[in-house]
Amino acid sequence: MLLLANPRRNAFNCAGVWRKRLSTINNTKINHEDCDIVIVGGGPAGLALAAALGSSPSLRRNLSITLVEGGDLKKAEGWAPIPGSFSNRVSSLTNTSQTFLKSPSIQNCIYHILLTSTTGIGVWGHIDEARTCGIDEMQVWDGISGARIAFSASELNLEKPELGMARLTENFNLQRGLLRRLKDLPEVRLLQQTKVKSIVQDVEEHRQWPLVYLENDRVLRARLLIGADGFNSPVRAYANIPSFGWSYDTQAIVATMTHPPRGAFEGPNTTAYQRFLPTGPIAFLPLSPTASSLVWSTKPQLAAALLACEPPVLASMINAAFRLPELSVRYLHTRILEAQLSGTPITPSEIQQEISWREQSHSIDQHSIYASANAAATIGMPLEGSEAVPPLVTTLQPGTVASFPLRLNHAEAYIGEGLGARTALVGDAAHTVHPLAGQGLNMGLGDVESLARCIENAFLLGGDIGSHTALLPYAQDRYLENHILMATIDKLHKIYSTDLQPIVWARSVGLEVLNELDSLKAAIMLTAGSRTDDAQRTSATAWNVVAKGVETLVAAADASKILAGGLQNLLSSNLQRLLNTEGAPGQQKRV
Amino acid sequence: MSILRHSARRFVRALHTSNATVNADEIAHFSRLSSQWWDHQGEFSFLHKMNPVRVQFIRDKLLEIAREENDDLDIQPTHVLRDLDVLDVGCGGGLLSESVARLGARTHGVDASESNISIAKVHASADPKLSPPSPFLSYEHTSAESLLTSPKRYDVVCSMEVLEHVDNPASFLSTCATLVKPGGHLFLSTISRTPLAYALTIFLAEDVLRKVSSGTHTYSKFIKPNELIEFFQNYRDPKVRGLIYNPLLARWHLAARDAWGGTDCNYLFWVRKPALESGDGSAAS
Ligand SMILES: Cc1cc2nc3c(=O)[nH]c(=O)nc-3n(C[C@H](O)[C@H](O)[C@H](O)COP(=O)(O)OP(=O)(O)OC[C@H]3O[C@@H](n4cnc5c(N)ncnc54)[C@H](O)[C@@H]3O)c2cc1C
Repeated sequence: MLLLANPRRNAFNCAGVWRKRLSTINNTKINHEDCDIVIVGGGPAGLALAAALGSSPSLRRNLSITLVEGGDLKKAEGWAPIPGSFSNRVSSLTNTSQTFLKSPSIQNCIYHILLTSTTGIGVWGHIDEARTCGIDEMQVWDGISGARIAFSASELNLEKPELGMARLTENFNLQRGLLRRLKDLPEVRLLQQTKVKSIVQDVEEHRQWPLVYLENDRVLRARLLIGADGFNSPVRAYANIPSFGWSYDTQAIVATMTHPPRGAFEGPNTTAYQRFLPTGPIAFLPLSPTASSLVWSTKPQLAAALLACEPPVLASMINAAFRLPELSVRYLHTRILEAQLSGTPITPSEIQQEISWREQSHSIDQHSIYASANAAATIGMPLEGSEAVPPLVTTLQPGTVASFPLRLNHAEAYIGEGLGARTALVGDAAHTVHPLAGQGLNMGLGDVESLARCIENAFLLGGDIGSHTALLPYAQDRYLENHILMATIDKLHKIYSTDLQPIVWARSVGLEVLNELDSLKAAIMLTAGSRTDDAQRTSATAWNVVAKGVETLVAAADASKILAGGLQNLLSSNLQRLLNTEGAPGQQKRV
Repeated sequence: MSILRHSARRFVRALHTSNATVNADEIAHFSRLSSQWWDHQGEFSFLHKMNPVRVQFIRDKLLEIAREENDDLDIQPTHVLRDLDVLDVGCGGGLLSESVARLGARTHGVDASESNISIAKVHASADPKLSPPSPFLSYEHTSAESLLTSPKRYDVVCSMEVLEHVDNPASFLSTCATLVKPGGHLFLSTISRTPLAYALTIFLAEDVLRKVSSGTHTYSKFIKPNELIEFFQNYRDPKVRGLIYNPLLARWHLAARDAWGGTDCNYLFWVRKPALESGDGSAAS
């Protein structure tokens, strides 16, 4: 009752009208501003969420929405790439993600008012589509056995095969598009180059609302605080949400590769390639007829050695990694490592010599598609079966070679409770995955779509959008789906990064026998986002198929024990906990 | 059919026999619980989860009628409650009142338990959009009967999960109906008196799972949908809609219209008061 004696307050505050009130913290008077939604983080997930919330007329007119980003968004906003050059950070956007980024479509609105769909946030029109590249076909093969699956958009029974299976998009292109879209939505406030210093609870007024302290000494009090703040999420720390996971002892080397266009008989450069080597997968992702993006996951030591090489050496190593038998790839890796240790880095001609010897020892003809030592000799020649490997890389675009550590990380909950109430996590703040399935950002966009819909539904029913009840459908919608997907990606990584004979055997048998209904294929199908009315259920099912497929594979080799560590832990404790909390309200308290 | 009719008539008669609408024991019981009211994951998590569905029922009913009467399909769901006078009888901790107020209705919540009203006020004061002197939300510790002495009448009167706790439902229902303006709406939610309701709300929720404190419900007080319909027989076209709990999703949803068995447990009830009134506003004659 004491609270009722508080100073008089203004009535309803509308969007954009910020009420300033005084509260005392550490005996210093602090002006705080009340916000309905504060998003921390202006990465792709945070910006997409801001655009999604802003795209809902009822939310943008009635709620105050603020995004806080520590970095300088002007860099993305004013991004003006030289034609023909490409940024090294690219993501494959599934059709589901693309649909979400497009204009609102009435088709997707379900008749019932409660289910008003927020699908379509009007961003795609602001993306330079000419710089994106649709993937029509995918070639995936096992580095040791050579077992291979190939499939194309046309056989996947996609609703719109012309869209391809996915679309390669530079992250900058997406971010710039999101920022342009946000320009149309002035109700959504962007505070950039403003770091969040700390987040504390408003104990002063017994409200338990988060107070967000900014670098410039402003303080925002949030009805709902959303962490889109990446892997080291400060919001997750404030909400006291533990996360589990591990580092993969793997670095991903990225680079923009240039190569000659495909020959007339080969079709366009719209095929993505991925070869699973025991050290990790290497992927070739097309961007234009003459440029493609590299994501090469490998051991940190080797990554460091490769990065230290002259660019032509790295280019040769990339070509070899897609072509030579695994034994020789391993030999070349040893050579690179030794040369680096001895302080005499290998030269471009030396590596070409090495590759040439390896080709000879495997009797690879210099005109074969598997030959790369003498690239000049093969380039432009129509070779039989050349679609089986990517085009030969000639150069690496200067300044694009970089590497990132890879890890798996999953928050134990997506919404805070107790002292960390009124919080939600999206994107990498909630989950980080291995890039082998190209799903990280797509999962983040899936979160954003679901959370925006959840907030809108709660708002339209007069709910308190920061309350546990309002946010629970978001967690229910996303947690399990992401979890299954992450477990699958992790399993795939573990299975393919071993050269233990029984598993390799199972792998090859699995890949060949299951060619039609293969697990990986189902995975890619999801990646492709074959969209139905019930896209989410479809994708969950697809991943279930993947998980089952992989499990069968492992059972066949009787090697489940090797994998047990990662997966069993993932599924047993956390899934169980999740099912307990979300499924049975009687046991909701977490211990 | 005749058995149903018979029991309904007997029930209506039973309603008239006791005088006090509010049972003292039950008030004491709920006061003890009211501090936990706003714990979204506590004993009342069921109510918290049920609340959006009730709001949906109210909002969509009003929307349907507004669209029909104004012949305008563009009326937005968020607009229908704006500037209406809404009375929430037995508002408890203010679950429904807060939601309705956020949708722009001038909402008055009343409860016979003083501590419930305190909890509701304290909670609303923590929300910058609802804290006093918000024109959208006010609370009062009083009974519905006491409001009859004031001339104030409401566009919408709601009473959620209250009916099954009152001792004299007939007089309670008449009171609620009187407080509705002519042409206004009465929304109720309660539990039906069926074996299913008994099994779910008393045996399972109270005795087995202990989700709800023992003694929260008394089976004999549960009222069946057709008993309500019969009570409001002088009003046109009352509507009943079941509320169904999905334990897998931990979510409530509205049963499909006319779903078989849909109203066997929790259900919502809506009736509209005739625009031109004859008599004293008491529905049961
Ligand atoms: C090599 C590689 C390849 C990948 N390929 C793909 C792919 O093909 N497809 C795909 O879908 N995904 C891919 N991903 C994953 C994808 O890049 C990430 O999932 C995505 O960038 C995550 O976006 P986010 O907005 O959640 O987080 P981030 O991009 O990490 O953004 C977080 C933001 O929060 C801000 N921030 C953090 N702390 C604060 C603070 N205290 N105050 C203010 N601001 C703060 C940061 O400045 C940053 O801008 C790949 C990742 C890697 C490493």
